Amino acid sequence: MRILIVEDDLEAAEVMDRGLTEAGHECTRAADGEDGLAAARGPGEFDVMIVDRMMPRMDGVTMVQTIRREGDQTPVLFLSALGEINDRVEGLKAGGDDYLVKPYAFAELIARVEALSRRRETGSVQTRLRVGELEMDLIGRAVHRQGKEIDLQPREFQLLEFMMRHAGQSVTRTMLLEKVWEYHFDPQTNVIDVHISRLRSKIDKGFDKPMLQTVRGAGYRLDP
Amino acid sequence: MRLPRLFRTTPFRLTLLFLALFAAAASAFLAYIYLATAGEATRRTDEDIGREMRALMAAYERGGVNVLNQSLIERAASERPFLYLLMTKDGKQISGSIAESPVEDFNGAPARASFSVTDIDVNGRARKHPARGFQEQLRGGEILFVGADVSDDQAYVLKIIRALWGAGALVIVLGLLGGLLVSRNVSRSMAGLADVVTAVRNGDLEARADVRGTRDEFDELAAGLNEMLDRLERSMAGHRHAGDAIAHDLRSPLTRLRARLETAYLDVEAGKGNAEEALGQALEDTDGVLKTFGAVLSIARLQAAGQAPDQAMFDPAELGGDMAELYEPVCEDKGLDFAAEFAADLQVRGNREFLAQALANILDNAVKYTPAGGAIMLRVRRRSSGEVEYSITDTGPGVPDEDRERVVERFVRLENSRSEPGSGLGLSLVAAVAEAHGGRLELAEGPGKVGEMGPGLRVALILPRAA
Repeated sequence: MRILIVEDDLEAAEVMDRGLTEAGHECTRAADGEDGLAAARGPGEFDVMIVDRMMPRMDGVTMVQTIRREGDQTPVLFLSALGEINDRVEGLKAGGDDYLVKPYAFAELIARVEALSRRRETGSVQTRLRVGELEMDLIGRAVHRQGKEIDLQPREFQLLEFMMRHAGQSVTRTMLLEKVWEYHFDPQTNVIDVHISRLRSKIDKGFDKPMLQTVRGAGYRLDP
Repeated sequence: MRLPRLFRTTPFRLTLLFLALFAAAASAFLAYIYLATAGEATRRTDEDIGREMRALMAAYERGGVNVLNQSLIERAASERPFLYLLMTKDGKQISGSIAESPVEDFNGAPARASFSVTDIDVNGRARKHPARGFQEQLRGGEILFVGADVSDDQAYVLKIIRALWGAGALVIVLGLLGGLLVSRNVSRSMAGLADVVTAVRNGDLEARADVRGTRDEFDELAAGLNEMLDRLERSMAGHRHAGDAIAHDLRSPLTRLRARLETAYLDVEAGKGNAEEALGQALEDTDGVLKTFGAVLSIARLQAAGQAPDQAMFDPAELGGDMAELYEPVCEDKGLDFAAEFAADLQVRGNREFLAQALANILDNAVKYTPAGGAIMLRVRRRSSGEVEYSITDTGPGVPDEDRERVVERFVRLENSRSEPGSGLGLSLVAAVAEAHGGRLELAEGPGKVGEMGPGLRVALILPRAA
């Protein structure tokens, strides 16, 4: 994946660059909004842009608003030290696709960047999802594994749908709470883990190969 | 030269401006009075002269120049206020009280003239009196002039004018005094406000203006100023408190983290410890610090703002349902009964995210402290007061009466909870969220003791009736 990192903190950019490169991505760096704008307008195509909100010369929100006006739909992940809900809403309104508050765990950043790159592929409306033996009928609200029907509660269905749409990628607990439950708070207890383990017992129990994996230090991954 | 303070005040300047306007108007008025009275006096004098002239002409008609002369001499000798002159055709005096006609270039047509006569007063001083008169040619060619001293008339007009001037001067003096008085009053009120502003500018946030209870605009301004200062002071105190709290709240976990890293470093250096394990532990500690920091920041921001941002109307049962759905499996996992009960058709105004965080904190606590076999209940209901109440009741050990207020304070963790993970900020954040919605947090005993269980805790987050 080609990633544009727009970040004025050079050390933070360096760490991101190294980590994402190790994860197999190709990174380009820009040190402020104007450089970022030039890079985004340049010949290189990017799959995802990581944009810091507060930068000298041109801030991230202005930069993203500009490229969106120019028709660039590349997914954008905003990074910000401002964690308040209204800051997040403002960032998403400006054309950001996701929002991550600094400081963050690197696993969280990678998971979100990889989740964003998938967004572009879902242009047409899908009615069925398939990951390995797992099949989901989005219209009939039914899930089968090896032809056997799996009975899911509505929220479990949503949870599985999200995991299937991001099959093969790590997704973090925060991402699940944000994308499936649509809440942005920070639970002290392992609420998400309990929901995942319920889902796991339904889709993996009685089958020889577990599909729902726990990724240490990051979250979960659905493997085919 | 600097004018005395009072003279520089706006009310005083306004007074001066009004006085100037008044003076101009009064002058115009005086001019009008003068013209009117002076004109009237002249007209009356002219009438008198005319009448005298006609009387003399009548005498002439009766008996010619001799009778006229006789009559004229008699009249001149009497107390009548007229001046007479009878002249021959070529202007020589025949008789009369003045020697020469003031009319120049007389051509036979009736003429009039203004002139002055000189009089010797009792002290022997010569005084000039203004006078006016008519002159006509008689049928026999003789010329008759009748005039009158108008100094009395003018004196009368002058008297009126003087009286008017006096009145004007009195009005101006009174106006000035009144203006000064009003200015002093207004200035005093303004000075009170200005003193407060100066005091605040110099850093004394506790200065307040006097509200005298007169309910005039100065009182209103003073009350408004005081209210603004109250708010400002609260907000400043909130910020200062937040700053202190953040410094305090983060120092201890950071100190712990540093100590742990140092120990680990020394251990690894001495070949005793395992670097990977120490780093993992340090990462975990850092996450803890960040979590604490996030909570402290949220509390501080809510307290400083005084109001939760982005509030909207929503159905509290919906949020309750989401939280129940989220926590029910957690309870089941721990062997706790979970029940939820939501009143229908309620509306509250608030920030859904902050309220979700608050409910999650309460539910986290309930799950954490209620032993297996216990129960947790989440309820949303409307109080008779119209307020909306979220309550979470558990059958855990509860919080003793005397500690209930304390546990809401930051970082207060009761003895028997120290072994459990947690920052001690959970309920503080709940309280801050409640306050930022104009609501409150209430802690009470749960369902009571049942065997080993209880007495439990009932935590209620109460939100005001939606306007």
